[in-house]
Parts: sequence; C-alpha cells; structure tokens
Amino acid sequence: MRAFRRVVIVIGLAGLIGAIARLRGKGGVPPTSGGWRELEAPEFR
Amino acid sequence: MTCTALLVGVGEVGTRAARQLVDTPALTRVLLADEDEERAVRVADALGDKAAVVPFRPGHAIPADVDVVACALPTGLDHAVVTAALEARVPCASCDDDHDAHEAVRALDRNARTAGVTVAVGCGLAPGLADVLVRHAAATFERVDEIRVARTGWAGPACVAAVRHERRATARAWHEDGWREEHPHGETLVWFPDPIGARDCRVVTGGASLLVDAFPRTRRIRVLLGEPPRRARLRRRFGDDGQWGAARVDVWGRRDGSHDCVVYGVVERTAVAAGTVLAVTAARLGGALGPRLERPGVHGLAALCEPVPFLTELAHRGVRAAVFEGAAVG
Repeated sequence: MRAFRRVVIVIGLAGLIGAIARLRGKGGVPPTSGGWRELEAPEFR
Repeated sequence: MTCTALLVGVGEVGTRAARQLVDTPALTRVLLADEDEERAVRVADALGDKAAVVPFRPGHAIPADVDVVACALPTGLDHAVVTAALEARVPCASCDDDHDAHEAVRALDRNARTAGVTVAVGCGLAPGLADVLVRHAAATFERVDEIRVARTGWAGPACVAAVRHERRATARAWHEDGWREEHPHGETLVWFPDPIGARDCRVVTGGASLLVDAFPRTRRIRVLLGEPPRRARLRRRFGDDGQWGAARVDVWGRRDGSHDCVVYGVVERTAVAAGTVLAVTAARLGGALGPRLERPGVHGLAALCEPVPFLTELAHRGVRAAVFEGAAVG
C-alpha cells in the first residue's frame, strides 16, 4: 500500500512539474524596450 | 490587351485572392474553379461580371487563353495543377504552405526551366510575405548569418490540418551548410506584433527550403509555427469569421563591422494576407502589375520578388508590415 501511495505521489508530482514547464514554455523574453512601428513607403524601412 | 487569371480553389484563401484579382484593373477576366461548384458560382456572382466559373479540376488541361494560374487548394493538390500549367506554358502561383507539397512542386524545377515557365510556391503569409520581408531585411546586411521565421495563424480547415501535420512531422533546420534534424523540447515563446503578442511556437521544416534556395550562404535558418486551437473548426461554425494571424521575421547579420538584427512583423487575418499575397504574385506573373515577372523555374518569394514594389502593392491593398525598434529579443 505504501509503495502504491509513493508511486501515485511521484506520478502526480511529475505531472504537475510537466504541466508547469509546458505552460511556461521555453526561452523567449518579453521585449522590455522598444516597440513595433508600421513600415512606410517609399523605402519600407 | 487582355489578361485572364485562373484561380483554382475558392476556400478561405481563394475567396480573398479572387476579390484581389478582380480588383486588379489590368486583369480582364478571373476564372474560378472549385470542387464545390455551387460555392464557386456563389463567389463568382458576388464578384461581378469579371468573374466566371469554369469546370476545371486538378489534373485537367489548363483552359485556353489563360495567362496565369493561382492555386489555393488543400495541401498536395497543387502539384497536378502546376504540371498542367507547365504543359500549357503558363506561369503559376501556389499558396500551399506544407513542406512535402513544396518539395513535390520543387521537383518540377527542371521541367519549369526547360519550359521557360515561372512557378511561385509558398505564396501566403509565411512562407510568402515573410520571405519577402526576409529579403528586405537581408538587403541591409553585408552578410546574413541567421534567419528565423515564425508564424501563428491559419485560414480554413484545410490550413488547420496542414499546420497540425507540419507540427507533428519531423522538423529539419538549416545549420552550417546542411540540414539538421531538430528535436525541440517543448515550445518556444515568440513575440508577435500587437495585438497577437506572445505565442508558443514549435520548430518545423515549413518553408525553410525556399529560404535556403534564396540564401544558401546563411549559416542558420529556422521556421517556427504556432499551435492552432483544438476546436477551431467548431468555433468557425458558430460565426467566427476568420482567424487573426501573424508572422515575425528575425534576420541577424554583419554590417559596418558589427553584428546586428532586424525584426519585421505583420498582423492580419491569415486568409486575407495569404489571399492578397497569392493574388499579387499571380498578377505580377501574368503581367497585370507592371512588367511580367519572369524567372523560369520553381521559386519561393524571397528568390522571386523585389521587396519594395511588392510591399508597396500589399500596403495599397491594406496588408502592412511593421518593424521592431528596440531590443530585439524573444
């Protein structure tokens, strides 16, 4: 019974950690300065 | 002078492309073909006298007097249309964004060169407009080191299926003069222009081969693709009139002795952006927007289009790109 409880706890913890990691994604830091500006004719720079 | 375009497929993207083709003054006729002929008739009726329906199907010979063909078909069906276009010696543009479909059409490159016919593949949001933005950014560098193209967004159900397939398939990226299989651990967060913002994306093969054709000396080329919502089909049924999409292009390179990065982005309804890019490309191949675009072979838009005239035409039709100014991160 104790072994069964341990297995359940381990699987639960693994699932929780996996879900958090999945939600957080990987890499990608929000831009902290600057922003988007529409490109304008004639150079579109 | 008359110019006739044949548009094959009037789904989400095809309908928008049809509108753009009809709104191109130098195109005198737009022929529509779709497996669902009733739908094609409804679209033609809505577009006015310039549009007409023809009983064309993939595998049929291109009708007489057609000057250019545009394909907005579900993945893999454009190969038969391109083959027919080559036989008829008519230029052709396709918006299929699936890697395997690209490879099938790229296999016709030698035939296209022999026939003296220009075929444009990947004429959508990304690949497509994103490739033009890559070329635009690359022109600011003496040497391009790395290219990353990311897209989130999808048009109709066929596009959602293609995105799912692409994200499930084994991904390859261009790395140090060769293809390398990628084994991404989870998703990468990509920051698109507002209001899309941050989205999880996965490395896919996508249109990387088209970028490698255009920039063979670049050390690293990667394509990332966002995940469609699981219930996209159901949501659409309840009145969602189109999904917003976005593309982001990061190009790293060297100029004036230093390493720098240019980031371009675009936000638009995916079907609208893809339809407009497909229509403008087809119009240019047919000579309806300035001189006829001629470069025999099968090419992506980075290799085929001059960015400034292309972006000018897109802006005129309401599809506008943006540049990120500031710290290029993410």
